[in-house]
Formats: sequence, structure tokens, C-alpha cells
Amino acid sequence: MLTLSNVKKSFDSREIIKGVSLQIERGESFGLLGPNGAGKSTLISMICGLIPYGAGEIRIDGKVVGKQLKEIKQIIGVVPQDIALYPSMSAMDNLLFWGKMYGLSGKAAKIRAQEVLEIVGLADRAKGRIETFSGGMKRRINIGAALMHRPQLLIMDEPTVGIDPQSRNHILETVKSLNEQGMTVIYTSHYMEEVEYLCKRIAIIDEGKLIASGTKKDLSNRLAGGTVLKLTVDSLHPLFIEELKTLNSVEKVIVKPGEEIDVHLHSKMEMVAEVILLASRSGIHIHNMQLQEANLETLFLQLTGRTLRE
Amino acid sequence: MKKVITICLFEIKRTFKKKSAYVIMLGMPLLFTFLFGTLFGSDAEVSFQIALVDEEQTAVSQHIVQRLMLDEMISYNIVSGHEAKEALANHEVQGIVMLEKGIAEKLRNGEPAVRFQHPPGMSTAPLVKQQVNQVLYSIDVYATAATVGSGYLNEDWETVYGKLSKNEGQIQVWTEQRTSGSAGNPMMGVSYSSAGFSIMFVMMMMLTMTGALIEARQAGIWSRLFTTPVTRYQVLFGYFLSFFIVGWIQFFLLIVLSTVLFGVNWGSPGGLLLLITTLLLCVVGLGMAIASLVKTAEQQNAIGTLVIISTCMLGGVYWPISLVPDIMQKIANFVPQTWAMEAFTTLIAESGNVGDILLPIAVLFGFAIVFLSVGLSRMKYA
Ligand SMILES: Nc1ncnc2c1ncn2[C@@H]1O[C@H](COP(=O)(O)OP(=O)(O)O)[C@@H](O)[C@H]1O
Ligand SMILES: [Mg+2]
Repeated sequence: MLTLSNVKKSFDSREIIKGVSLQIERGESFGLLGPNGAGKSTLISMICGLIPYGAGEIRIDGKVVGKQLKEIKQIIGVVPQDIALYPSMSAMDNLLFWGKMYGLSGKAAKIRAQEVLEIVGLADRAKGRIETFSGGMKRRINIGAALMHRPQLLIMDEPTVGIDPQSRNHILETVKSLNEQGMTVIYTSHYMEEVEYLCKRIAIIDEGKLIASGTKKDLSNRLAGGTVLKLTVDSLHPLFIEELKTLNSVEKVIVKPGEEIDVHLHSKMEMVAEVILLASRSGIHIHNMQLQEANLETLFLQLTGRTLRE
Repeated sequence: MKKVITICLFEIKRTFKKKSAYVIMLGMPLLFTFLFGTLFGSDAEVSFQIALVDEEQTAVSQHIVQRLMLDEMISYNIVSGHEAKEALANHEVQGIVMLEKGIAEKLRNGEPAVRFQHPPGMSTAPLVKQQVNQVLYSIDVYATAATVGSGYLNEDWETVYGKLSKNEGQIQVWTEQRTSGSAGNPMMGVSYSSAGFSIMFVMMMMLTMTGALIEARQAGIWSRLFTTPVTRYQVLFGYFLSFFIVGWIQFFLLIVLSTVLFGVNWGSPGGLLLLITTLLLCVVGLGMAIASLVKTAEQQNAIGTLVIISTCMLGGVYWPISLVPDIMQKIANFVPQTWAMEAFTTLIAESGNVGDILLPIAVLFGFAIVFLSVGLSRMKYA
């Protein structure tokens, strides 16, 4: 459905996208996870032909973006990061407008707008002006506008920024069911829970580069030492630390002030027993123990040394 | 083309949804026309009604009647003595001017010959008195001349007076032309203000609409538009068309309303059609040119307002350009409003036709081409 091969982009001689390659299959839901300023929006602008790419090639459905834009625009639906709607007009008017921009006839647009309002759960607010809507409702119409022409590929750029949890859940449910009905989805976010929930395959982008990509399973396998066992002990015996490090399952050991030890483990549970056994053999008393499981956040932390939201 | 029309209709709908649009579109220009129009004096004749009774019906009295009727401020209704009293009682007139029997005799003897009847406290009484006195004074000159003349010519006083006053009739035709002709300010009052403020507020309206364009662009709506199968030309043309149509609607309504409210006569419809179409191309072009050069709606509003107010001043929208120094008049040639006002003056005050306004039309068209090419070629899209 979508192929990016070594795509690059510079603004004012500053390279923003530094050679991105990825492939998305038809029917997939693909997550693009990265912190603010990573280059997600820039990448999306290039995919939908808004800005030209500096190097490489982007193909959608076999057609090259930049050459066969007209055909491509007909099969993609883009949900921009900003709420790109006319605030003084009603939800219905907005949907009709965007439907017609996608080439729908007046009658077809009317029928479809009603369906779309049902999909985003705002059928009862068709006549309400956008400016009177809550942030979450605006976001839902913002998505609805991209669904008017039943796109094959739905590209969403941070569609849940700044909204209440209910609206957020509604949007996630909506996208999930659209994907289950066969729509290919690209979902951009800096919330790892959203991407984890929605997407089978995920790419993590940072400073214009893909630093990891694959299925959720692929990624968690890459989480060497991603699981952390946090121990608080009565005394930091050097011998105990040394012996901990020799254990097979242990990636590394970090000693912190206040008799605290972070034990980074390759994989989880089974290995925890080994640590406890060793402690009791060494005569060390464990006051407190906490297991912190790996997720994309930890992977990002591990890969970049930074957290996703800072 | 379907998408162009969709964009155009959508923008028009969006414009008319805002209540503030009506204020700029109609409220302000009509208010300003009213205020400035009365400030400059009116050509729609706010007149005082006075009953005029001629009891004598001779050459002299008819001469006086004729002279009094020339006045533009006071309007005399010639009636019988009985009708006059009734009209005054019914407040249909504000006073009665009575030319009594034997007026020629009395004039010759220097006796008061005209009676002016008015209710106490009539504010215009001094004005009427003054006018009547003025007329009598000049009539007196003829009367004296007739006395002298009748001696020389050995003819009847009445006959000589008749001859003399007939002569004057011709002179008066000439004076009449002068006062309403092209001397001094050709078009004053409400007509002038109507044309001027229509131009100004059509421009202001354009500013509001291009402001909406820039806001949409800032909000990312244009970016979104270009993710749909719509071309730049369709978007630009859609906007252009909506500006043009709203401009025409506004002009049309202002013409109708100013005709109804202020009695403005806008002149040749064909000329107006051509002039307004060209002027709107020019104004829409200016709006697009400004929109293409600025980034934010705030910039556009500030720059736009400055440009409009200052060029309207230069271009003689508020006051006739003949009132400003020569150097300003030269500079004014580089402002489209000057040419528009010239063409409107030709149509309104000189009853001109399409053929008479071709030069200003050509100049306006030139401005339109320059503005539109700047606007369309330099337009920012994101
Ligand atoms: N038009 C532009 N000109 C210059 N720099 C830009 C432009 N657009 C984006 N950038 C820069 O590119 C980087 C990535 O931005 P963006 O793609 O918006 O990130 P994200 O969507 O992941 O938050 C940022 O550092 C931003 O400042
Ligand atoms: Mg972004």
C-alpha cells in the first residue's frame, strides 16, 4: 500500500528527515511513535504530497507521490494535526464541504455525511457550529471529514492531542473498527499506549530517523534489559553485587543511593526467583521489591536515553 | 468547475453568516453617506414650503414670482389667497408670501408691497424675508430703469418693464446653468458620499473576506484542501469568484438603498455595470495581493486598513479631489479610487454614458491586472 525508500528532507539546509524507509501492507494498522519535533508531521506531509521530498521515493498503491498525485489523493484520507475545519459553520456543512472537495456529488455527500456522523458518534450534533464544540468533538469531526470519500488509506497525525479521556477512547475505538473493516491506517502519536493499543506494527522515530520498527513482539524482544527489578536492601554488600552481575538473566546492575539496586533483566518472572535466592544466600535482607515491566516507553528510553514526553 | 463553485458558494455562505458583515457591508456606508452627505450640503433638496399668492398678476408681480421660484432652498407653491390660508392652518406650508394688488405702484413709491405671513417662532422666517427683500431690491433696479426708459421711449411704464424683465429671463437661464453645472464642485452632498463610501466599504468588505481567507490558511484548512484532489487554481478561482459576487451584491444593495433613502440618481445602468465590474476586479485584486504578501490575519488587517483609508483620502472618496493642492491631485492619479470617483461623477452628475468613462475604466483595468497578477503569482499556500 505504502512504501518509503530512503526518504530525506531538509529545511534551510537542516536535515529534518534523515533517510526513512518503511513498508505498510494493505489492511494494516501502522503506528508511528515519536516525541514532539521528531519529524512525524513532516513525514506525513511528504506522504500526502503537501511538501516535496528531498531524496528517495514514496509510493502509494504503486503510484509515485509527486507524479500521480491526483489518483493518490483520491484514495487517501488525511486527518491533520490541527483542527482544519471552518469554526463558524455547522458540523454538517463542514462534512459536506470536504466530501465535495473529494469529488462527491451533493446527494452522495449528504448521505455519506449522515453515515460519518454516526461513525464518529455526533449524529445528534449535525447542525451545531464547530466553534461551539468541545475539543474532543472537534477532533471527531476532524476525523470524520477525512472519511467522507471512504479512503483506502487513512493517515492520522496525532488525532487525540489535547482531549478528554472519553473522546480519546471513542476515537481509538472508531479507528480500530475502521481498520477491522479493511481500512489501512497510519497512526501518528507520541502516546505509546495509543499506538500499542491500535497498531500491529510500530515504528519509532526520533530526530528524523527510524530507531526501531517491527511488530509489538519484535520490539519487546529488542528490549534487552527492559524489565527492571527494583530492590531496596538493608546493606549493599559488594560481593552480592558482583554475584548479581554474573547471573545469566541479568543485563546490568545499577546501585543507587539509599540502599537501592536496579537490576535490569533480559526477560522476566522466572529470573526474579534467582535474584531472591542469591540474596538470601548472601545474607542480604530485602526490604522492598518492585518489578517494572518493559514497554515502548522503556524501549525509547533505552534507545535514546530520553523519555517520549519531555 | 464544480469544486470552484462549491468553494465559492461556501465562502459566500460563510460571509453572510457573520452578523458583523452586514454592518460593514450596508450599515456603515449608509451611515457615513448620511453624515458626510448632510455635512457637504444636500443635493436632494431639503426645502421649506411657502405658499405664494399673486393678487396682482401683472408683469411686475409675475417677474417677482419668477425670481422667487428660482431659489433652491425655499420651495414656493403658487396658490390663491384662500388656499394659502388653509394650507398654513393645516401646516402644509410654513408661511405665506402675498404680492398685494397695486404692487408696481407701491414699489415706485417705495412703499412696502409684499406681505409675509408666518406663525410666531418660525425658524426660517428670516431666511424667507431676506430672500424676498433681495428679489425686491433687484426688481427695484428694473422698476427705476423702466421709469427712466418710459420717459425716453415715450412708452407705457408697464410695457418697458415687461421688455426689460424679458431680457433678464435669458440671463437667468444662464445663471441657472452655472449653479448646477460643472463650476466648482460638480457633485456634492449625498450623491458624492454615496459613491465614495460605497467604494470605501466595498474595499473594507473585501478586507474582511480576505481576512477570512488568511484565517483559514493559518488554521491549516488550505493545507488540508491540498490533501484532497483540488488544485491551487480551483481554490484561488473559487475565492476570487466569491469575493467578486459578494462585492456585486454589496454594490447592488447600496445603489438600491441610497436611491430609496437619499434619492441618489446613479445614472446610466450600462455605465454602472461596466464601472462596478472593473472596479471590483481592481478591489478583489488588491485584496488578493495583500493576502499574498502577509502571513497572519493581524498583519493583513493592519496593512489593509492603512492602505484603504489612505488611498481613499488621496483618491477623493471623502471630499472632492478638486479641494486638495495640485501636488496631491497629481499623486492621486496613482490611486484607483481617483479614477473610480471620476467615472462615478461622470455618470451621476454629468449624466454620462459608457462612452464617457472609457478612460477611467481602462486605468482601473490596468490596476486590476497588476493587483491580480501579484495576488495570484505570489500567493502563499501554507
Ligand atoms: N516548514 C518548516 N521549516 C523549517 N523547519 C521545519 C518546518 N516544518 C517542520 N520543521 C522542523 O522539523 C522538525 C520536525 O517537525 P515535525 O515534523 O512537525 O515534528 P512532529 O510532528 O514529530 O512533532 C522540527 O524541528 C520543526 O521545527
Ligand atoms: Mg506533528
